[in-house]
Amino acid sequence: MNNLLTLPVMIPLGFSLLALLWPRRASSIGILGLLATLLASAWLAWRVAGSGPMLLALGGWEPGLGIALHADALSSTLLLMSSVVALAAGTYSTGYFRERSDRARFWPLWLLLMTALHALFLSGDLFNLYVTLELIGLSAVALAALGGKRKAVEAALRYLILGLLGSLLFLAGVALIYAGYGTLDLMQLRNMLAPEPVAWIALTLMISGLLLKSALFPLHFWLPPAHANAPAPVSAVLSALVVKAALYLLLRFWLDIFDDVVTTFAAWLLGSLGAMAVLWGSWKALRAVRLKLLAAYSTVAQLGYLFLFFPLLAALPVGAARDTALGALILMALTHGFAKSALFLATGVIQQKAGHDRIEELGGAARALPVTVFTLALAGVALIGLPPSGTFQAKWQLFSAVIATGQWLWIPVIATGSLLAAAYVFRILGYAFASAEGVKYRIADGREELPALILAILATVLLGFGSIWVWEFVTPGALAVGEVP
Amino acid sequence: MMLTQLIFGIAGGLLFAMGLRSALIRESLLARILAVNVSGAGIFLAFVAIAYRGLEETPDPVPHALVLTGIVVAVSATALALALRRRLEEADDE
Amino acid sequence: MEITLWHLLDSLLAILLLGLAWSALSGTDLKRGVVLFMAFGLLLSLIWARLRAPDLALAEAAIGAGLSGALLLLALRDREKSENKAGQPMSLLRLATVLLMLLLAASFALAYVTAVTSNTGGRLAGLAFGNLEQSGVSNPVTAVLLNFRAYDTLLELAVLLAATLGILALGSERRPFRRPGVLLGALVTWISPLLVIVAGYLLWTGAHAPGGAFQAGALLAAAIVMLRLGGMTSEQLPHPLLQGWLLASGIAAFMLAGYLATFHDLAFLQYPAGWAGLLILLIESAAMLSIALSLGLAYLGGSPSGWDERSSRGKRS
Repeated sequence: MNNLLTLPVMIPLGFSLLALLWPRRASSIGILGLLATLLASAWLAWRVAGSGPMLLALGGWEPGLGIALHADALSSTLLLMSSVVALAAGTYSTGYFRERSDRARFWPLWLLLMTALHALFLSGDLFNLYVTLELIGLSAVALAALGGKRKAVEAALRYLILGLLGSLLFLAGVALIYAGYGTLDLMQLRNMLAPEPVAWIALTLMISGLLLKSALFPLHFWLPPAHANAPAPVSAVLSALVVKAALYLLLRFWLDIFDDVVTTFAAWLLGSLGAMAVLWGSWKALRAVRLKLLAAYSTVAQLGYLFLFFPLLAALPVGAARDTALGALILMALTHGFAKSALFLATGVIQQKAGHDRIEELGGAARALPVTVFTLALAGVALIGLPPSGTFQAKWQLFSAVIATGQWLWIPVIATGSLLAAAYVFRILGYAFASAEGVKYRIADGREELPALILAILATVLLGFGSIWVWEFVTPGALAVGEVP
Repeated sequence: MMLTQLIFGIAGGLLFAMGLRSALIRESLLARILAVNVSGAGIFLAFVAIAYRGLEETPDPVPHALVLTGIVVAVSATALALALRRRLEEADDE
Repeated sequence: MEITLWHLLDSLLAILLLGLAWSALSGTDLKRGVVLFMAFGLLLSLIWARLRAPDLALAEAAIGAGLSGALLLLALRDREKSENKAGQPMSLLRLATVLLMLLLAASFALAYVTAVTSNTGGRLAGLAFGNLEQSGVSNPVTAVLLNFRAYDTLLELAVLLAATLGILALGSERRPFRRPGVLLGALVTWISPLLVIVAGYLLWTGAHAPGGAFQAGALLAAAIVMLRLGGMTSEQLPHPLLQGWLLASGIAAFMLAGYLATFHDLAFLQYPAGWAGLLILLIESAAMLSIALSLGLAYLGGSPSGWDERSSRGKRS
């Protein structure tokens, strides 16, 4: 029995309940839960790498009547990334939250968010996906509003309302699919969907909802305030994981379930919006006054790059070149996940030790918090796309795909985006390395600085040198959830 | 295909769109929360209309279960939104 | 296709529903909007009954109109900074949004009509009714919720928990109401126990007739609301430690039942043969309590007294 598939979802859920019941031990329970989840995700990924995609029919009912859980290379990779980021950010938060009552509020919600993300990655049912999207939304909002500061609550409430609208758009699509095809199971739908009005309209609705949730320009406006004002570990996960979940669903629908239904025009539309996101986001990041705001706008930009892949994938014929491009997309998503969470955690350290996160007043940070500034530099390397980071490999492949398909207009976009990224990263480092007299920084301890550093190393070094493993693991069977025992 | 299904399905679509528009247009948070609820109700109506199979046959139970889940999700979201809104008002006094 | 009296009724109901929605959403007076919204919910409940969805009718009346309405009425007390300016003159921009709205509705309607006319089969109904006997209950909606698609219900309880935890984390409860007058006091004294009894009945009967954990939980929550209106303070609720257990019980029951199956070499949430009915009843009982307390705490508006002290040493004062 493949009950292993339930573990990445049920373990965090169980530990969430435990953290609720024993608030005094919330931190320990939380870290233990995240470790156990990481083990389960790793085990699952290992199994998928060895024997291919896995399927579990919950309740023993045939999928259609019941709900199925799937894991393939793409979902198990994301699951693994999610567990690592959550553990790192969770470790950081044991230092971030000083008060016991803050920790008691944080951990159950944090573990619920992990439950939701993992449930989404593993779900094989359309309505179940809706429920996971709502669970992600509510727990993310509750976490973003922790601390009760006015700006955070305001941003969280806007995020909630827009998130609900996005989910409703998704649900509208689900209703139409059920009406037209009589099933909610993704695998069955893959074989049944045809290019007809029902499918087009349903897909448009669902994609619109997902675009809102993945903050593609121009539906991105809710993201910067929400990510910038949330507590640091929450921002890390919001930017690195929550937005990726919506993107994952988009990919899954676009390339797998609905691949007969999508049109080239739509792919170009997404690509164009992605291009605008790259330019707009990078520009706003350069002009940002606060580090966290910079990081949030950078997320908008980086997500834009991911959308540039869509028209390229549409133009490439099925084969090695297309697989490589897909691998590059996933590599870029993974690298961004690690790098951005590292950036937010490092920013959190600075904010707590300096009392603020204004970029122009970062003088003296390099001397006082060397590890953290080094982390910023490493994360920056990954965000710009310098070697040896995973982003560099991915952008290289992006260029190859552009040349192969002749879609030259993306080149200036990528180039400008990278230049702007270099500009804003060097701006931060410039100020951080400046010396400043009489600036007071509090001391940081290991568990605050190390998690961010580890994440940054993963992004820049491991994914860079190890990118070949990612390619081998992800591309061949990435989206094949077909013939499974 | 039944006229009843069409009537309520189309009404559901109108409610969905109406709620969506109001949620985006109105400035009052309470009005926006009401709008989101109305929009959701529209989709629920569409689901139940799909499930309806006439007066002779029992309706399809699956959409009913889905809508029941949806109702609980909606009230959870509403409750959280209202709590955030209340906090926003109190925070003004800081 | 003949137009019968039923269709006339349906059209009337639909038009009324749309009218209520429009007036609820477009007025400047928020109180009026909330009340109209509650009426909308009640009408919707009636429509569920018309469409042969009694479980939904119960749930909508109790949760959609009832509890949501109670929460919204309470929320009217919180003044808002941005005064709603719905009474703006019809500008070009507003006209454009109306057109977009109609476009969206039309697209949805087009897809819907195409779908419903081309697929006239029973969809998943056949499978559901076919497997009803093995499900352990005879109410098909309960079978879907607690057996076939139990995983959805499990996650839904998690959604409710997430919202509750969010609310509790934001601050403490609202100020309790003052002592009730004679009439309200008498009403509360009579209705609250009645609500509890009906809740228990709905829980039990949900296996073979309309009802179930959600409707029962909603009624229990309504009892909490009634008691609150009658002046109940949070000290009179169960001890915060017990509250934590109650909030967790629904999900915990699901997880236990789900993994129970794995010891019998079955899939997660596959109830062992013959056990389904009993397991479903146990899960539903636990879920009812979780739902009731979650919604009750939502009405309270924040953490009850003694909640934050669970994480520090010492008893509730």
